Amino acid sequence: MGPLIPNGIIPEDWNYIIAILIGLAFGYILEASGFSSSRKLAGVFYGYDFAVLKVFFTSAVVAVIGLYYMDYLNWVDISQLYVHPTYLWAAIIGGMIMGVGFLAGGFCPGTSLCAVAIGKIDGMVFTLGLIIGIFIFSESFSALEPFFEGSNLGNITLVDTLGISPYWIIFVFTIIALVAFAFSDWVRSKVKKVFY
Amino acid sequence: MSKKYKLKRLLVRRYQILAAILFILAAGLVLLPKYKKNEGVKPELFVKNAISSERYINTDLLADRLVNQDPSILLIDTRPEKEFNEFALPNAINIPLKNLLDENYIEYIDQDIYDIILYSNDSFYADQAWMIGNRLGYKNLYVLKGGLNEWFNTIISPKYPDETMPKEAFELYSFRKAAGMYFGIGVIDTKANPIEKAVAKKKTPKKVKPKPKKKKRVPEGGC
Repeated sequence: MGPLIPNGIIPEDWNYIIAILIGLAFGYILEASGFSSSRKLAGVFYGYDFAVLKVFFTSAVVAVIGLYYMDYLNWVDISQLYVHPTYLWAAIIGGMIMGVGFLAGGFCPGTSLCAVAIGKIDGMVFTLGLIIGIFIFSESFSALEPFFEGSNLGNITLVDTLGISPYWIIFVFTIIALVAFAFSDWVRSKVKKVFY
Repeated sequence: MSKKYKLKRLLVRRYQILAAILFILAAGLVLLPKYKKNEGVKPELFVKNAISSERYINTDLLADRLVNQDPSILLIDTRPEKEFNEFALPNAINIPLKNLLDENYIEYIDQDIYDIILYSNDSFYADQAWMIGNRLGYKNLYVLKGGLNEWFNTIISPKYPDETMPKEAFELYSFRKAAGMYFGIGVIDTKANPIEKAVAKKKTPKKVKPKPKKKKRVPEGGC
């Protein structure tokens, strides 16, 4: 049956409207979870608040389990879903730069916009920096392009790379998530509480 | 009071309970009995294609394209090799039905450059080959309607139209006659010798068509 739009069950014109609705819901959940506070995000690094880790890990695990159950029941065709291409080294370097920005600024791109929406000045400064960063990257893209394109592995997933059944990967991933949750709770109990 | 206490105890353990649910669901995925999924096109689309008359090409159209040396067609003979060696259409490639999915031949079938025209003595083998190919999602597959029998009846020995038939029937007849001559056999005049059987024996020149390259698929969508 699904995905609904490529298979014509929902007309293609609804694409953007649905995207906006999902975006609104996403923004609402981010804000409702308190992610528009940079202290909450930085808490992951200092060990006093692991809400970010828990929320993102849980959402990933729930989504992947749900999708594969729906695939099993023929509600969604997994092979029709878009897989983002992997630019290996570009992603590693980019991830490190983003990590530094994350820690220094206390926002990730999504939450910074949430912070702007509720009128936080640090969020606005962060977003300004984000736009400047995008500008610099785009302007210097021709110089970076060989490096960027050089490590393109195509639209691969762990299933292709490891050659293991996706169900086992999901199972192991779920256990990793649960262990990470328990571990983060243990770390939090050892670290001095920060109230904000 | 005890009910409230029970709920409270449940709420204290809520994270453990949620974690257990997640674990059970993930383990369920591993333990579910696996079944093989359909490959290739969806059954609905397959049936739609199968009942569409567009999957056939008639002998006149094929003769016209062959006479005009249309470079975009690729004739595939699905009969066994022995029959192919006896007679085949010009430039046809022999891929017997049982070898259809062999590694050597798959690149001829699974491509989107040529219009592939499958034929056999009638449409029987060709239809089967078409069904296999179509089910696997291969593009541009056609079946010669009526196969070589129809080819023989229409192009090689066309029937002289009745006097009362429209002008187009006579035009078609003269086209078929000319096409028959082009294919080097000459027309057997059915009017004069209606019973005579002609065994068409012709060594077919075999042109080697380059194997079509597979196109890399471009990812769709975006995030």
